[in-house]
Amino acid sequence: MIGAFFTTIAQGIPWTIALTVSAFATGALLGLPLCMMLMSPARPLRWLARLLVLTLRSVPPIVWLFFIFFGIGSGLLEISPFQAAWIGLGLITAANMAEIYRGAFAAIHPGQREAAIALGLPGRYRFMDVVAPQLLRIALPSCGTYAIGLLKDTAISSTIGVNEIAFEAYHLSQRTFHSLDVFAVAGLLYVLISLPMAWIAHWADRSMRRRLAR
Amino acid sequence: MAPNPAADCSKQVLLRLDAVGKAFGALTVLDGINLAMKAGEVVAIIGPSGSGKSTLLRCINQIEPPTSGRVEVGGVTIEVGRKEPSRKELMQIRRSVGMVFQSFNLFPHLTVLRNVSLAQERVMKRSRAAADAVSMQLLSRVGLAEKANQYPSRCSGGQQQRIAIARALALEPQLMLFDEPTSALDPELGLEVLAVMRELAEGGMTMIIVTHEMHFAENVSDRVIVMADGRVVEEGPSRQLMRSPQTDRAARFLKAVKDR
Amino acid sequence: MSDLLDFWGEWLPSLLDGLAISVKVTGACLLLGLPFGLLLALGMQSKGAALRLLALAVIETGRGAPVLIMLQFTYFGLPTAGISLSSFGAATLALAWNTGAYTSEIIRAGLEAVPQGQREAAAAIGLTGWDSLRYVILPQGLRVSVPALLGFAIATLQTTSLCFSIALPELVSRAYIVGSNTFQYMPILLLTALLYAAICLPATVVVSALERHLGRHAA
Repeated sequence: MIGAFFTTIAQGIPWTIALTVSAFATGALLGLPLCMMLMSPARPLRWLARLLVLTLRSVPPIVWLFFIFFGIGSGLLEISPFQAAWIGLGLITAANMAEIYRGAFAAIHPGQREAAIALGLPGRYRFMDVVAPQLLRIALPSCGTYAIGLLKDTAISSTIGVNEIAFEAYHLSQRTFHSLDVFAVAGLLYVLISLPMAWIAHWADRSMRRRLAR
Repeated sequence: MAPNPAADCSKQVLLRLDAVGKAFGALTVLDGINLAMKAGEVVAIIGPSGSGKSTLLRCINQIEPPTSGRVEVGGVTIEVGRKEPSRKELMQIRRSVGMVFQSFNLFPHLTVLRNVSLAQERVMKRSRAAADAVSMQLLSRVGLAEKANQYPSRCSGGQQQRIAIARALALEPQLMLFDEPTSALDPELGLEVLAVMRELAEGGMTMIIVTHEMHFAENVSDRVIVMADGRVVEEGPSRQLMRSPQTDRAARFLKAVKDR
Repeated sequence: MSDLLDFWGEWLPSLLDGLAISVKVTGACLLLGLPFGLLLALGMQSKGAALRLLALAVIETGRGAPVLIMLQFTYFGLPTAGISLSSFGAATLALAWNTGAYTSEIIRAGLEAVPQGQREAAAAIGLTGWDSLRYVILPQGLRVSVPALLGFAIATLQTTSLCFSIALPELVSRAYIVGSNTFQYMPILLLTALLYAAICLPATVVVSALERHLGRHAA
């Protein structure tokens, strides 16, 4: 019977993974310009970016999702539950990634930039050849940890109708008398999916430490 | 340029500093520095911490632009108050001036070979093969050819600094700046680096070295400049100055160093 | 604009009632969860392998599953095993478990940040294990953890928004009810977001400042 539960709930896996991947990719990309704004020499830009990041992180994800799906989605635009969840989680991810990138920038030894300048490397090569590779390696572990958190946050999208794991679990629990087992299986499923993610993050962390050790 | 046998006393002036100063708001770090260097000269700058020695070097290659005065180097003249130096001018300066840092600053994510070749490819537009060939030559010269495919983290401090010297030499600079190159090293490892620097000097490279290594300053450099509180306190031929300084301030500093 | 303000004025009391419940749940789960986290952190450092394994299992399950699932597990699931809880009770239990799991890691990191020399010094002056923990290690370790714990507390207030799925009449469920009755989702959700932001945004800024202030004397 647990096996039957598992197969039913497992139908949600593709949606869970799709949402995690798309929200993460979108957020990781949008986080870059947002981070540039956070570190910009122009004060208004910096403050705007800080306000954006703080606001995105000070309001619960479910409120953002409701706001996009019920608020914007009911009147102005046609937004599917998946799209609403993608946008909402993507924006929150962007805010968190901007902070992660900013921390990674600060962790790069200032001498790196000076050495690159002293060698006469023009700005774009300084970024491409010296800063960006180190940035990626430093940020990777935090990104990995965040991605696992994002995996669990996708469960929230069940409340607006995305048929991922939590959605399947909830509806299954309404149909049986074994809710305990249903939710236990669902929880286990998330843990199982997070294991390869954690393994990759750990491996990335180890190899980063090896390369950048002083 | 064809060598001019009659022009021995007019060796090319590679660097001229006129009343160069650097202030951070109300804090003056450098005040009225004048300096002229001819090709092949080796100058050591010594002095207590906070005297502005490092800042002076960084004003020369414009990592820190000076706030007053004039800098002539690499065929480019930069005068504070006149128009801002163009990117092309800055690039020209950095191609003709090489810098070696106290904390080495090798790029940790690149192999040793790549560290030395990168700027050659991007700045001098050499092909990868040509750049690598030059890099291997330079690495052999500093005694580290076998480390070419390793990462900096696998090299000792002294090795990293020698690689940093090779990296700076790869751009064929006319002037080399050394900012306390051995301060972060064990005495033993420092010796390897000083040996490379000595060889460079004997080969005719024009060098400015900020250092605490008094023996090196006395024996390898032609001239010594003593700085304190952002100013030049005394300047003169190395052996002479180190043995019998003329000014009080310089004498005090040298005595404190000897007494340690 | 005045329509909006009127609308807000009309429904604000209901939302504030909901917010009060959100805050109460947050308080209750922190009250239970923080000591629980300390217990788990100490459990992870214990010499007995069985105890360590038990602590690890509790932590990994508390952190590994999404909070939503844990809430539904305690509210819908436990009754089938004979344990019936109110939505407040289920919320508190599930969130306290989650809190304990996450804060145990924060506290463990704080305890590890205390230099080994402190333990050695405490032993050298004759303090027993328990006393050295109580008078030397914990005070220092917990101080390091304070900013992270505060940050977690702020996040917990946001997490209570998920309790809407187990019929707890907190802030988001009130907002949803208003929205589904009036079909004015945007305004009511905007107000909801503002209420959360009004608390969490300044709190986050203060915690960041506190972190910088505490870091002044860091070794």
